[in-house]
Amino acid sequence: MTTTYGGWAGYILRVNLTTKVITKETTETYHDYIGGMGIGYKVLWDDHVDGIKATDAENQLVISAGPLSGSGAICSARTTITSRNPVIRNHLITDGHFGGHFSPELKFAGYDAIIIEGKSETPVWLKIVDDTVTLEPADSLWGVGIFDTFASISKLMGQQAQIAAIGPSGEHLVAQSTIQTQGGHSAGGHGAVLGSKKLKAIGIIGTGTVDIAESTTNEQLRELDDHILGIIGANNNGVVPNQPQSWAEYSSTGSRWRGGPGVTWGAADNPVDVGETPWDDRQKVGMRTSMAEMYFGRDEANKIFKRPGGCHSCPIRCFCEVKNPKMKTEYNLPTENITNVCLGFLDPWYAMGKPSSGEKRTDIQTVGAYYMDDNGIWSAYGQLSHLMREFTARGFWEIILPAEEYAAINWAQYADLDAHFMQDFYTRIAYSEDYPGSNILGRCLGRGLHEFINEDGELYNVEDILNEVESPRMAELTFELESDANYDLVGKTYSVFLDKNMKVFNRSMVGGVHHASESAGQVGALLNTVFNRDPQCHSHINLINCGLPHAKIAEVAASLWGEGAFDPVQHYTAMNTSKAKFAKWCLVKNVLHDSLTLCNWMFPLVVSPDANRDYIGDSSIEAQMFSLVTGIETSEAELDAMAESVLQLHRALTVLQMNEIDQRNKHDVLSEWVYDLDHDKNFGDEGTIKMDRDDIQIGLDMFYAEMGWDKDTGVPTRATLEKFKLGYVADKLESLALLPA
Amino acid sequence: MITRRALLANGAKVAVGTVYGGTLVGFLTGCGSSDDAETPIVEVIPGGLMVVNPILCVGCRRCEIACSWSHGKSAVSPSTSRIKVAKNLNFGPHGVQPNYQDQRGEQGDSTIVPSTCRQCDVCMTVCPQKAITVNEETGARVVNDDLCVGCGYCADKCPQQVITIDKTTRKSLKCDLCEGSPNCAQVCPTGAIKFYTWEDAVAEVELHEKYLELV
Ligand code: SF4
Ligand code: SF4
Repeated sequence: MTTTYGGWAGYILRVNLTTKVITKETTETYHDYIGGMGIGYKVLWDDHVDGIKATDAENQLVISAGPLSGSGAICSARTTITSRNPVIRNHLITDGHFGGHFSPELKFAGYDAIIIEGKSETPVWLKIVDDTVTLEPADSLWGVGIFDTFASISKLMGQQAQIAAIGPSGEHLVAQSTIQTQGGHSAGGHGAVLGSKKLKAIGIIGTGTVDIAESTTNEQLRELDDHILGIIGANNNGVVPNQPQSWAEYSSTGSRWRGGPGVTWGAADNPVDVGETPWDDRQKVGMRTSMAEMYFGRDEANKIFKRPGGCHSCPIRCFCEVKNPKMKTEYNLPTENITNVCLGFLDPWYAMGKPSSGEKRTDIQTVGAYYMDDNGIWSAYGQLSHLMREFTARGFWEIILPAEEYAAINWAQYADLDAHFMQDFYTRIAYSEDYPGSNILGRCLGRGLHEFINEDGELYNVEDILNEVESPRMAELTFELESDANYDLVGKTYSVFLDKNMKVFNRSMVGGVHHASESAGQVGALLNTVFNRDPQCHSHINLINCGLPHAKIAEVAASLWGEGAFDPVQHYTAMNTSKAKFAKWCLVKNVLHDSLTLCNWMFPLVVSPDANRDYIGDSSIEAQMFSLVTGIETSEAELDAMAESVLQLHRALTVLQMNEIDQRNKHDVLSEWVYDLDHDKNFGDEGTIKMDRDDIQIGLDMFYAEMGWDKDTGVPTRATLEKFKLGYVADKLESLALLPA
Repeated sequence: MITRRALLANGAKVAVGTVYGGTLVGFLTGCGSSDDAETPIVEVIPGGLMVVNPILCVGCRRCEIACSWSHGKSAVSPSTSRIKVAKNLNFGPHGVQPNYQDQRGEQGDSTIVPSTCRQCDVCMTVCPQKAITVNEETGARVVNDDLCVGCGYCADKCPQQVITIDKTTRKSLKCDLCEGSPNCAQVCPTGAIKFYTWEDAVAEVELHEKYLELV
């Protein structure tokens, strides 16, 4: 049966690694859940098993595309990976995402998703060439780094294959591991799931097409493409340039529209001087973002930046393809090129204590990025590096590690900001127990912080935890730094919930902060409570970091969610319903994008660089894309409702997996430092991002009301679930006494 | 007779309608280039060709998409696109080499070298159905679907390997320069792919040729 709609490929592959049986099922079952993340959550709901670990054979992992992937719609090449996650307390479900060219290829091969279940006895890889799907032996690939894995499989399949793989860290069941695809794109937290299933890689060649609805004409597609190009900004939808340009009314140093005079793709064979990048020059859209200077500083970036890169169909190009010849000459790597973005470059730098720009930083970031990616290590949005850096600064490793191991680590290199340190550092994490010696450092860093702390965020004796001692001792670490004195912490037991530099935001999930209160006050704080990992949400960031003056942003926010939806950053007012509506909107759009699968680092586009439009964007573009591609005329409100259904299902599945009705007190809880930082300031003062305990509780009340969740528990009510065609979810929760009365 | 070397040295231009030696045309089109005086004289017709500057190409494949969008029914695929980015994307024009890190492609030195139709005569010449002819207005070699039987000779012989046979329609898919207004160039976000008249193409083709070689 083929679908009569455009967009969806029509089929889902189910690969059972235990039985080696591969079956095909129709995607139509999942149309109400859009695609991508929606498919992932529905599959895991349907096949839920109580109390299993992420690395158990019963756990499923879903790799999914949405109806827009491969259609050519702008920024539509994300891939969503959904599974229980070993980095999360109770191994709750999370969704990770990567870009690149993987999901379009999956669609060209004729599939919307791959469901992976069971566990193979021996290493295998999955080979997909259109209709021919086979499991191939991967014994010779086991233990091989990600880059060589890509090369080996491409050699076997043909170089047009798009491949996703795990590195040694996934094989060693390191919780902080990735699934990666070519060009440095990685999804966090699920490498160990594939590792436990002994699935090394998936290679796809698709020679088919993604069909667009017959009712849609070529002209309509080009028109919409052109409309989007008229209102899209730079990465994170920065719509004003970072520095003044002759055509621009505004500029803002916060904007990721970095391409402009003085920016050079200096490592290109013939260096490219980017020059002015006027908003309406369609052939310079791909030069706007040129973001290397954000990660390396302008001087270094102008030397090492070769070009920007990124995903299929995206004109924005947030990736930085850099060339650092020293990677080869001084660090003995087989390449002098590396591509990455954001934490891919920042994690090594954070881990080394954030040295200022210069060659040492460049070396740390490029060499570190190489080792992270080749080993397939996940930073958990910086949690890995924050832990390394803070524990080093506090002298904790000397206490935690056995003397022999401590002595074997080259701390002089670390202190010298010598990038040679990166090799041993990331190898310790990736090889875990197979690294020679005790390797408490690597095993601890790779395992996920939640494993090592008690309810109050205080550290257990790490060795006891790793040795699975039944009643582990406490580590007995105390706050001793001078900076701790400001907070009256000196001498007190160290807790990661009190340490603002550790950036644990959602304390129950022990998730890292990611555009929370530091970006959008209570709005960011609230949406950081809902997901089980950092929320990977940029819906709000694409508005508030757009670079327009605050008054303009506040005006847009007020028009969408009511007065007072957006305060100036670091000068917050008390909670109000407009903020609750804003937070909900952010999550709905986030889920929408992860389901379509569209880039949430660019969309939604509520503002634009076009002064003639008064800088207003168009939040209905997703619905326009969806309507044209599928042929199902769908309004923005209708599409948002479908996304909200997936969001409700996400919450319900968390309730089910935790077997816990009290989400309010057991899930949606923030760390102490969020309320206690800046001891000389009160919530609401200018210059602080500090939140207020009572105000956040009011925030939860208002947010739950917007979501249709029970006030006391934060669980969706039956009425809400039924409204979103999730009556079967309500029935199941009710049968387990997990539905609010 | 103008040799390629002489042309470059003198900065000479090729004028439409002039008769020139095969060397230059061979160079520009990428087929049968040699300094052999026996090479037949070829008349340069109007139009030109699409060429990608690999230094500017950012690998987004929007050109591939626009090509799919603008031909026939809007089914997007690297297979139905007449410009080929995907096949050189990850490891460069020569596929996976032992020193792939030094070769072109996303996994190599991160240079992307898309292949475009050079509007040479090869496919036209080998087609047993005489289904490929020159559009006198644009200079593009175009496929007549009524005559094409999908035998694939053109695809086999194309020196740029940019022809595919559509799996469903069994017709040859080749660059027709979009009736003189190529869609690929319009959507390229960096201006990497452009239409060049024969007069202007020399330097661009030479740059592109450099990136087609093994490193
Ligand atoms: S498609 Fe035909 S005209 Fe174009 S390069 Fe190939 S053989 Fe030459
Ligand atoms: S649209 Fe331009 S930048 Fe993108 S792949 Fe094609 S030639 Fe390269």
